[in-house]
Amino acid sequence: MEAEKSIKINKKEHKPLQVNPIKHSQPMGAALAFMGVKNCLPLMHGSQGCASYTKVFYTRHFNEPIAMYNTSVSDITAVLDGGDYSILMAIENITKKNKSMKPELIGLHTTGLTETKGDDVRNVGSHIEIPYCYVNTPDYEGGMESGWALTAKSLINQHTKQTTEVKANKLLILPHVSMQPAEVEKIKELCEGFGFETYALPDLSTSLDGYLSEGQGKLGTGAISIEDIVNLADSSIVVTIGSSMQIASKELLKKNPNIKELHFDHLMGQENNDNFVASLMEIRQIEPRPLLKRWRGRLQDAMLDTHFLIGSSHFVITGEPDMCIGISELLASVGGTIDAVIATTYSPVLEKISAEKVLVGDLEDAEVYFNNTDLVISNYHAERLLHMQERNTGLILRGFPNYEELGNQLKNDQLYEGSTYFLFEVANALRHVKHAK
Amino acid sequence: MVNRSKIKELMNESACSHSKDKKPGAGCDMPKPGLAAGGCAFDGAQISLFPYADAVHLVHGPQTCLGASWETRETLSSYEGKDHTVMGFTTGITTNDVIFGGDKRLDNSIDYIVQHYAPEGIFVYSTCVTAMVGDDIDMTCKLASKKHNIPVVPVHAPGFVGGKNLGSRLAGEAVLEHLIGTKEPEVITPYDINLIGDYNVTGDMWQYLPIFEKIGIRVLSSLSGDGRVGNIRTAHRAKLNVIVCAKSLVTLCRKMNEKYEIPWISVSFYGKRDTTFAIREIVKALGDEKLIQKAEDIIAQEEAKLERELLPYRKLFAGKKAVLNTGGNKAWSIASGLQDLGIEVVATSIRKSTEDDIEKAREYLGEEGILMKAPASEQAKIIDDKKADILLAGGRSLYTAIKKKISFIDVNQEKKVSYGGYSGLINLADDLKYAFANPVFANVSKKAPWEVL
Repeated sequence: MEAEKSIKINKKEHKPLQVNPIKHSQPMGAALAFMGVKNCLPLMHGSQGCASYTKVFYTRHFNEPIAMYNTSVSDITAVLDGGDYSILMAIENITKKNKSMKPELIGLHTTGLTETKGDDVRNVGSHIEIPYCYVNTPDYEGGMESGWALTAKSLINQHTKQTTEVKANKLLILPHVSMQPAEVEKIKELCEGFGFETYALPDLSTSLDGYLSEGQGKLGTGAISIEDIVNLADSSIVVTIGSSMQIASKELLKKNPNIKELHFDHLMGQENNDNFVASLMEIRQIEPRPLLKRWRGRLQDAMLDTHFLIGSSHFVITGEPDMCIGISELLASVGGTIDAVIATTYSPVLEKISAEKVLVGDLEDAEVYFNNTDLVISNYHAERLLHMQERNTGLILRGFPNYEELGNQLKNDQLYEGSTYFLFEVANALRHVKHAK
Repeated sequence: MVNRSKIKELMNESACSHSKDKKPGAGCDMPKPGLAAGGCAFDGAQISLFPYADAVHLVHGPQTCLGASWETRETLSSYEGKDHTVMGFTTGITTNDVIFGGDKRLDNSIDYIVQHYAPEGIFVYSTCVTAMVGDDIDMTCKLASKKHNIPVVPVHAPGFVGGKNLGSRLAGEAVLEHLIGTKEPEVITPYDINLIGDYNVTGDMWQYLPIFEKIGIRVLSSLSGDGRVGNIRTAHRAKLNVIVCAKSLVTLCRKMNEKYEIPWISVSFYGKRDTTFAIREIVKALGDEKLIQKAEDIIAQEEAKLERELLPYRKLFAGKKAVLNTGGNKAWSIASGLQDLGIEVVATSIRKSTEDDIEKAREYLGEEGILMKAPASEQAKIIDDKKADILLAGGRSLYTAIKKKISFIDVNQEKKVSYGGYSGLINLADDLKYAFANPVFANVSKKAPWEVL
C-alpha cells in the first residue's frame, strides 16, 4: 500500500505536445450531452469545422445520423460580433429552413475560439424565444468528460425549478460521459425495479440507442424532456455515477437541499453494485427482483471462471478517468494486474486507481507499455499501433471513438449483468492472445 | 500570419468557373451560421496536405481540431519509412497559451518532433485560436527550419476564414511558397507530370498508376496522395499538372503556369469513359506521338479486359434504374460509373453543385434525366414515378429506401475500396450486386405485429 501512495500523477504536462491524442474536447462532450435532451438543437458556437468534426465523429461512433449545428463564426464576426449576431442568425437560419422543426431547447456550447474572443453567450438568451441553455466549454480546458458534466450542471442551474418538496419515489441518475446508451437504460431499469420513477440526465438511452424510426437526425429524439428537467428538483434521490458528475448533483442540491445523494465512482464489479443495491433496498425497504439476484450469482460465477486467466494477466487501460477507474477496479477484483492507466485529463478519481503507473497522456505515452502487457483496453486509435508491433498483445475497444466496431450504443459493462459480460469478453480476448503465443 | 488579401484573391479565382464572376471577396463559399455540416478551412488544408507520409503534420491549436480528425481518412501510402499520416500531432494548447501566447510551446513541439521522429519536413497548421491570439507561427517555423535543416511549412488556414475549399487553396499557397522549386529532381523525362488533388483515398491512385507506368507517363510529384515532401519540392520541373477532381487547386496550377510555364488539365478517373478520356487528355497535352499511340494500345487492352470482367454484371444490371442523391462532383462521377455498368441514372442531386458540376450532370444524364434541387423532398416521388430499383444517397435517406422497399447504398459512408480507374468499376459493380440481392430493405419495411390491424 505504501508503494501505491507514492505514485505521483502528473497534473502538469510532461511534454509540449500530444502525439496520437486520446483526449477529446469539452465542446464535444457538451454536444453529446445536449443530444440526450429531447428535441434539443445542439448549437456549437465556433467556426464551422468544430461542429463538422464533432458530427462526423459521433456519426461514425454510433453509426447514426447526428443532429448538430453550428454558428459558423468567421474571421470577421470573430472580431466584430459579441456572439449575438452569429447565434441569432444561426437559430433563424435553422428554424426558417426547416419549418417542420420545432426545437424545444437550444443547447449552446462555446469553443476555444468564442471563449478567446469572450462572447457573452448568457445574454443572448434574452433574445431567443425558444428555451435556451448555454455552457462555457473552451476546448483548451478540460476534456470530453468535463464538457458533458458541465452541460448537465448548466441544464440544472438554468432550468430546474427550486423547491423543498420531494417525491419519495422519484429518482435521478447522472451518468458520466463514457456510458453508452444501453448502460444508462439498464441502470434506469434497475431503479424502476425498485419502484422508482426514474430519470437520467443526460439521457442517451432513448436518443442514440440506434433505433430505426422516421425523420431521424434533425433534432435529438427521445431522451429527457426540458419539462422534466424543469421539475427535477423534487426527486428524492440523485445517483451520480462517475466523479465528474458530482458538479451536477451539487447544483441539484442547491435547488433542493432535501434530496439525498448516492455517489458511485462507477457501477462495474460486485462491490459497487452491492453498495448500490443495498442503498436502494434500504430506501425502499424492499427486496431486489429475482433476476437481479440471479445476475449477482452469475457475476460471481464469471469472476471465478475468469480469475485464473485475468489473475495471471497484465493490462493497460486508456480513456476518460471515470471509465478507467471502473475497468481497473473490476479487473483488479479478479486479480488482474494493471500496468498502466493513461487518462485523457486529470481528475481526482485517478488518485484512487491502484495501478503500477497512472498518468495523463496520449497514445505515445501508452505505447511504451504495450509491449509488456497482455491486453490493452483503449479506443479505436490503439488498434493500428498494436498491429504495428511484433508481439501479440490483445485489444478490447472501449471509449470514444470506436470506428472499428458496430453496435457500440448497445454495449453494456455496468451492473452485475454488464460486468459479467465484460469479464467474459476480457477472458476470451486473453485466451486468444495467450493461445497464439 | 493569415493574409486577408490572399484570401480575397483566392476567393475570386480567375480560372474557376463559379467564383471568377462574382464580386470581390464574395466568390467562394462563406460559411453561414446555422449550417449542419461542412468542414472549415483548416479541414480543407489538412485534407490537402495530410497524405505526405514523410512529413509530420503538427496542428497548433486546442483539442477539437486534431483530436476529432486524426486517423479518419483512408488515404493510403506506400512510404517505407514511418508513416506519419496515421498519426496525430497537436500542441493541444491550454489556457496559459491563450493568455501568454503559444510560440514557445510550438517551438518546443517542433524540437520534440525532430528529435523523436526525424521527418523529412513539418507542416504547422494554425487554427482559429492560435491565429486570433496572434502567435508568430511564421517566425517560429522559419527559425525551426534553419535550426533543424528541414522544411517547416506554416499553413495559414484557420477554420474561421472559410470553408474546406478555401482551406485547400490556402494549403496550395503554402506549398507553392515554401516547397515547390526548392530542390532539383535527380532525373527528368519528357513525360513527367504532377498529380494535383488526388489524395489516394482507399488507394484511388493505385487503380490508374499502373496504367500510367505501362504507357510511360511518370509522376514526378503528387499533391498529395501517396506523396513525399522531397518530391513536391521538385514539382517545378514537370511538363504537365494534372488536376484530379479538385477545383480547389486550380489556383495553384494557374500560378505554377505563370511562374514555371507548366500547363494544366483537369480530369477525373471515375468510370470507364472518364478514365479513358483522362488518359487521352494527358498524353495529348504531353504531345508525343509515340506516347499517344502507346496510350491507345493500352486503353484498348484495358477496356477489352474490363468488358470481359463486366459481362456477368451487365446481365444482372440490365434494365435497372438508379436515383443518386449526393453532393459535389460525386453527383456526376458516380452517375458516370453507374452508366458504364449499364444502369440507368434517372435522377441526381445538384443541391450543392457548382455550375460546372451541373453542366456535367446534365451531360451525363441527358435531357430525360432529373436534376434534383431539393433531393430530400423530391426523391421519394421520383422513385415511384420512374420505378427506380436503387437509391444511392447518404445515411439520412435510408428510411426513404426502406419505405419504398428498394435497394440502398450509403455513398457518403467512408468506403473501404476504391471505385477509381478501370478496375475500381468492378468494385462498384460488386457493391451494387450485393445491394440488389440484399432482401434487408424489404424485410425491415415489414410491419410489427402490433401495427397490423
